[in-house]
Amino acid sequence: MLWYKGWLETRFRLLFLLGFPVFLVVFLHSVGVKPPPPGSPPLSGLPIMLTPFTVVACAMLAGAGINTQPAFQAAKGLHGSTLFTLSLPVSRFKLLLVRASVGWIEMTGLIGALCVGLWLLLPMVQATMKVGEIVEFAGTMVFCASGFYFLSVLLGTLLDDQWRIWGSMIAFGALELASSFLHLPGSVDIVRAMETAPPLIAHTMPWTTMAFSVGLAAILFCAALKIARTREY
Amino acid sequence: MTDFIIETNGLTKSFKRQPALRGLDLRVPKGSIFGFLGRNGAGKTTTIKTLMGLLHPDSGSARVFGVPVADADRSIEIRQRIGFVTEDKELYPYMTVEQIVRFTQPFFPKWRDDLERRYVKMFELPPKRKIADLSKGMRSKLMLLLAISRGADLLILDEPTDGLDPAATEDVLRELVAIAASSGTTMFFSSHQLAEVELIADHIGIIDQGKMIVAGSLDDMKAQYQRLQVVFANGVELPARWVEGVEYVRREGRVVSILASRNVDAIVEQARSLPGTAVERFPVTLKEIFLEHVRNN
Repeated sequence: MLWYKGWLETRFRLLFLLGFPVFLVVFLHSVGVKPPPPGSPPLSGLPIMLTPFTVVACAMLAGAGINTQPAFQAAKGLHGSTLFTLSLPVSRFKLLLVRASVGWIEMTGLIGALCVGLWLLLPMVQATMKVGEIVEFAGTMVFCASGFYFLSVLLGTLLDDQWRIWGSMIAFGALELASSFLHLPGSVDIVRAMETAPPLIAHTMPWTTMAFSVGLAAILFCAALKIARTREY
Repeated sequence: MTDFIIETNGLTKSFKRQPALRGLDLRVPKGSIFGFLGRNGAGKTTTIKTLMGLLHPDSGSARVFGVPVADADRSIEIRQRIGFVTEDKELYPYMTVEQIVRFTQPFFPKWRDDLERRYVKMFELPPKRKIADLSKGMRSKLMLLLAISRGADLLILDEPTDGLDPAATEDVLRELVAIAASSGTTMFFSSHQLAEVELIADHIGIIDQGKMIVAGSLDDMKAQYQRLQVVFANGVELPARWVEGVEYVRREGRVVSILASRNVDAIVEQARSLPGTAVERFPVTLKEIFLEHVRNN
């Protein structure tokens, strides 16, 4: 039933986010897309556009963990439905695990849908891509986005929903700047792996960056669990 | 098995160095209907949240069903046996009445379908309506339904009739008494409505400034507590020290009002020993006991 609750909490956000790739395909199909000039790689701009969208999706789908109240209620000393949730005979570990899993699965599905959209756009730019290549691209996006996703989950255990979303976006902005100006090592530069060097463009899998992102996600999730276990409501 | 379903010893809790509980000792007997009274900010909700494992005490101990509430793993065991109505009556706004009932049911193996059906009908809860569209009174009713249908051994109710109209309040109170009588469920409830508490509670605890100032059986309390109205003759001075058991003395001219919690006969004797004194004894209400204790604490 916790899965059901997680689904009910996120379904409209997911539908809203799914609307984006549908809109993109329909819009580009209706206006027509010109092939890129000779010499420039096809679809090079798409990952740059898709990465911020994926990060927004992470922030929206990660949910507020055990908290469910909007920020304005918390400011009034109200607790939303959190107290009801915590009165159920379920451990906080399970509550957070299920909620985080629901959002992560939805994020994965959303990235899959985006990649299908991308696939449908390819003929319009006179490009071709093997199924394996699109799967590699989707895998890269999912594993790299997991770091952002679980950062949002962690923020959800500390902040109210509204501030969690802003916090996630600010963290992404900081990483974007760091990626642009600090010349981070490739193995930790998640933004670069998603935006400018995904397999779609670099034709190689960023394995170390993906592993770093997954490791970071695991650490962030463990921190979120630890906070959730001891937090007072 | 302990005779007390809830037991706390020297419970303390502070928020930003502001003490909310100052060594709270609370004992709720098994099968009782325990009215937990106190002014705003006295520590009622902090106590309830501590019992539910939502807050961690700074010191002292709290046990529910003999299980320490601080034990995170075993707290699941406690919550499986508790029906809880929160102070703010907030539920998932995106669910319908029917959905939240179906959502809650599987967590509780002793779920009472008969009670669920009974209260859906009695409280006139529209199954298809979103919780976001329910009034506070309807949310209170729904929360009571969800708490009672759990088949719980203990109901912890934080202001359970808040938001209900008088008729619904009457229905709810009657049902709570019926449940306690038929299934032996212990009830621990906080309320500001002293008349309600007096109507259904058999045990009372009054908390003030984070400490239990009065606790015990309501019948015993009513038997022990009496108000004495003493009229003194002109020029007679009040005793400097009264017999033990005088909770407060209030003087208006020649008339002195005394609240006695014990040794009433001895206090009456002491008053009558003064020349030209007339003494009358009156029973007291819970409201009087409450008000005098919190005013004089």
